[in-house]
Amino acid sequence: MGYLLLGIVAGLAAVERKGFLQAMLSRPIALAPLTGLVLGDVAGGLAVAAPLELLWLGAVNLGAALPVHEALGTVAVAGGAVLAGQALGTGVTPALAVLALLAGAPMALLGRRADRLVEQGNERLALFAEEALRRHHPHVAVRLNLAGLAMPFAIAAVLAPAGALVASTLAVWVVRAAPQLDGPLRVGWWAFCGLACAAGARALRARRAGAIFSVSAAAALLLGMVLRVSP
Amino acid sequence: MTIRLRTRAHVFWRCLFLQAAWNRRGMQNLGFAYAIEPALDALYEDPVRREEALARHLGFFNCHPYMAAAILGGAIHHEERVAAGEEPGAAPLSYKATLQGPLAAVGDGFFWTALRPFFGAMAALGALVAGWPAVVAAVLLYNLVHFTLRAVLFGAGYRQGDAVVGVIANLALPRVAEHLRSAGVALCGAAAAAVALRASGVAPGTENAAVLVVAAAAGAGYLALAKGTPLFPAAYLVALSGTIMAAVTGWDGRP
Repeated sequence: MGYLLLGIVAGLAAVERKGFLQAMLSRPIALAPLTGLVLGDVAGGLAVAAPLELLWLGAVNLGAALPVHEALGTVAVAGGAVLAGQALGTGVTPALAVLALLAGAPMALLGRRADRLVEQGNERLALFAEEALRRHHPHVAVRLNLAGLAMPFAIAAVLAPAGALVASTLAVWVVRAAPQLDGPLRVGWWAFCGLACAAGARALRARRAGAIFSVSAAAALLLGMVLRVSP
Repeated sequence: MTIRLRTRAHVFWRCLFLQAAWNRRGMQNLGFAYAIEPALDALYEDPVRREEALARHLGFFNCHPYMAAAILGGAIHHEERVAAGEEPGAAPLSYKATLQGPLAAVGDGFFWTALRPFFGAMAALGALVAGWPAVVAAVLLYNLVHFTLRAVLFGAGYRQGDAVVGVIANLALPRVAEHLRSAGVALCGAAAAAVALRASGVAPGTENAAVLVVAAAAGAGYLALAKGTPLFPAAYLVALSGTIMAAVTGWDGRP
């Protein structure tokens, strides 16, 4: 049942991402908690949401360029982490999060390849529409537009649960086989989160981004430490 | 003849599906024809003229999906005049061809590389600091801005036709985008600090080490990405080297 729900969420996210709406619902920051929600662990999904959002902040459709499929990657990683946490009874730990990331993130690359297939399918739809118009079926012609939503839905609905299955299986296996790696994997997760913040700052392409990033990080860290030690 | 508000609302709803069948040959052609169809049905009673109008909108079209609302509104504006015999049938096409490139550039530069990443960074920082309510708030705020602009552009295009360019220029989107990008970077910096504080918080007694790990990953990662290192290898390298370093040194993040 969990994988079926994952497939539906991933399919809808793939549709929202490009074909309909584009209201940020398929971005990792919204999609990861939603993935957690359908699996019964919102907090688990939220735990991976922020770093994934920052990692893929630059994944945008500019013109004809195809970015990585961040929605597919997000469902695979968040779904994998949550399912692994449920299997072990621990919830999503940093160790499970980083293992799910390492195993599930390639789904975002696979999704980009799948997007090319979708474009080819849509090209055929456009040709069918022109043909339908030549045969004086204007309503049929324009409604073929909606048929373009089917393929991204189907591809994501199959690939994302598969990615989550691989990610959760690997994460559970590693944590059970080598429990002593829990601490080092936690450190790996925090290191990855640091990189994700840097990736977000780079993706924004602002002037003097390096300086703004460093100063704001130092200032926020100082503020956080002051607030932490003050009663 | 003018299009009723209800029909215009129908067209606006359909423009949310502009990229449903995006393809490399005609790009958003099918989506544009689908969106404008209710307006053409209302304007042309003669099926032959209606098909002619639809055929001209099935040609190549590509723009930013939000900014395309302005072109869609303007195309209806011109189609009303074509239907009334005040303009030639080529007028809507000329309007689309003139505006699609510049508006695509403005939309990509404002929405895709500034507004959405800014709200993404805001939501990410909010998630780290305040949890899911901050995420919901950021997404709602983004969509308030996004849908308002989309609706305003659609209405301005319909009412003012070619003069919509002036409306868009008055919004000064490129200048706002610059500020949003800088603010977004600052939010990413604050997010890095929040991650470091979280990392040190879960492992009492190792605060400095945890902060150093996050700071080193963020700093080295930033420099590597600035030098052109691809994102995926960088992410794997950082996650694995952090894990291996901790395993080798025996530091497991616990007190």
